[in-house]
Amino acid sequence: MGNKIGKIKASILGAALMGTTATSAMADGMEYETVADLLHLVMSSDRTVYTRMVVNRLANEEGVITASEHFVDDKALVLPAQMFRFGAEMVAENTDEFSYSLLSLWPINKQNAPTTPMEEEGLQYINDNPGENFYGVEELGGEEYFTAVYADVAVAPACYTCHNEHKDSPRTDFEGGDVMGGVVIRIPVN
Amino acid sequence: MKSKLLWMAWGVGTFALAGVGLARIYVTGDRTDLLPGQTAGVHHQIELACETCHTSKPFAGQKKIRKDINKTCVNCHKDELNASDDSHPIKKFKPPRMSAYWDDIDARFCTSCHSEHRPEITSAGLVTQPGDFCVACHSEGDQDVRVNRESHKDLGFETCATAGCHNFHDNRALYEDFLLKHADQPWLQEDPTHSIEAAAREKPRPETADIETYLAEVSAPATARDQEVEAHWAGSAHALADVSCASCHAPKAETEEEVEAQWIEHPEEKVCATCHKDEAKTFALGRHGMRRHPEVSNPRPAKRMLKRLGWSDPSDGAIAFLEAYLVDPTPAPLMSTAEARVPLLPEAHGEELTCSTCHDPHEQDLQFAAVGACLSCHADEHSQNFTQSPHFALWQGELAGDLPPGSGVTCATCHMPKTEKRGVITTNHNQNDTLRPNEKMIRPTCLECHSLEFAIDALADPELVNSNFSGQPNRHIESIDWALKRVTEPTEGANQ
Repeated sequence: MGNKIGKIKASILGAALMGTTATSAMADGMEYETVADLLHLVMSSDRTVYTRMVVNRLANEEGVITASEHFVDDKALVLPAQMFRFGAEMVAENTDEFSYSLLSLWPINKQNAPTTPMEEEGLQYINDNPGENFYGVEELGGEEYFTAVYADVAVAPACYTCHNEHKDSPRTDFEGGDVMGGVVIRIPVN
Repeated sequence: MKSKLLWMAWGVGTFALAGVGLARIYVTGDRTDLLPGQTAGVHHQIELACETCHTSKPFAGQKKIRKDINKTCVNCHKDELNASDDSHPIKKFKPPRMSAYWDDIDARFCTSCHSEHRPEITSAGLVTQPGDFCVACHSEGDQDVRVNRESHKDLGFETCATAGCHNFHDNRALYEDFLLKHADQPWLQEDPTHSIEAAAREKPRPETADIETYLAEVSAPATARDQEVEAHWAGSAHALADVSCASCHAPKAETEEEVEAQWIEHPEEKVCATCHKDEAKTFALGRHGMRRHPEVSNPRPAKRMLKRLGWSDPSDGAIAFLEAYLVDPTPAPLMSTAEARVPLLPEAHGEELTCSTCHDPHEQDLQFAAVGACLSCHADEHSQNFTQSPHFALWQGELAGDLPPGSGVTCATCHMPKTEKRGVITTNHNQNDTLRPNEKMIRPTCLECHSLEFAIDALADPELVNSNFSGQPNRHIESIDWALKRVTEPTEGANQ
């Protein structure tokens, strides 16, 4: 894929991503694809850090606390996927400049199934083409969006064991290295 | 000629009427006649303070207006939405991937389901959608509950939110794993006591020797001395906490002379709020005290409104004219029982609601604050049946010393539940916080003594609620049974 379309002049995104180098990036404009790639880099890095340095260390290696879907009731750590979603929801509360979500063709929670034809196409593409991203443009609610989809791969046994064993999971044969879903990033084209 | 004069009179009259109407809308003046329809529920208490909810500038677009109203809803309802772990928060519906749902029910805006001033279509919880509103999103595709849950395949959508199974916002006591965790428990626990209530009721009161000491140290003007009042105070938690007469009646005084000079016979409520901050905050979130909420808009001064409309330096004459004929009515600062829209006893009419309506400022009378005060006003069936209920009998048993602390159930146990954080116990003074819907009561109150199954069934039985829980539920909500079936018989619906 890799559609190259237009330039983004979203100062908020540029500033958030590039820090002190934001000025030149904003002045030149930045391609949607690059912005989406950089956003994804931040998201996946933060999630990996949380998974390794907080959840894996405290829950699996040191065993001082568990991680649970019902983290409030269980007085436990937030699952890495939940942390990712809470971040996405906080972004949605604060800006319409971009949005992102963690989706799957086999979601435990049905609300994380694809809702648009392009989400369906993108999730299928990253599943069929390991190592590649998906980029496209779609119209939603009367507005045009640049949509990027990145593979979410089973990196730790905790990820795929939980999905394989969860009572609501529609797929139970995930293995390490499998694409379990995808991160979808949207930026309005204007 | 006559015809011309009549036309002129009609023109002047029309112009004047339009002017008065527009001035009332955009400048100042009583807007009672301009209300587009009766407000529902408790919003009538603030319906003339229009800017509490309507903050958009004149001629703003629909989307902007709806966004602005979202903000004003959250001004008052933020805490309860956060506490509810909202199942359908706005932030979930904002991303464009949810746009397909926007055409059915646009959950990005509070007003899609809660449209005020429309009494003809308003149901419980200020809902202005038809009772089967869940059908809009949960009847097709991946969200079709009839496909996802074998047990739900023959259910009508009008039953989702009315049968005690689901709520749109607050499902803390109803989500599937919670049902499983609390399944198969006896209806009444072995030790049916409310732990936080017990801790609160066991708080120490002054010993006899201490009371003597306190009474000897009373410092108040001679004209204000009263033996009965002093005896009440000396036996209260206030005396134990070193809250003296002057703490409330002359809070800034440091010497006896200053106490005498600055003595206030009837201190205002804000004196209470200086220490009881959480209680004051939650009181302003409930029906009894919402007029004190800091976000309720103030009357509009003519001068400021004219400036806002672009008249930077309005003449004194214009302001005086407007203030003479058009002035915003000052809303009563306190809710009065005369304005209540719930059944009240005739003798309660005219009462205003302040801290001292329920709490005597000197005497620590738990019985009155937790039961007597409520029953001196509320005349509905549920309230009036309380004194014949098993909960009341337990309370009497506890007061008599026959039952351990925390056994008794008062009005406040359920409607003003206590919370404990780092050893500090706070009473929620938003008496409505565990209602709308009543399943919100399950976790802070019912589960302290009862099983989840019993609590869900009891709260879903209106007759049992009316009798104030004298007896067993005549309804059974199958949610726990169905949840158990899903895990014990995977073919019944689990997706694997």
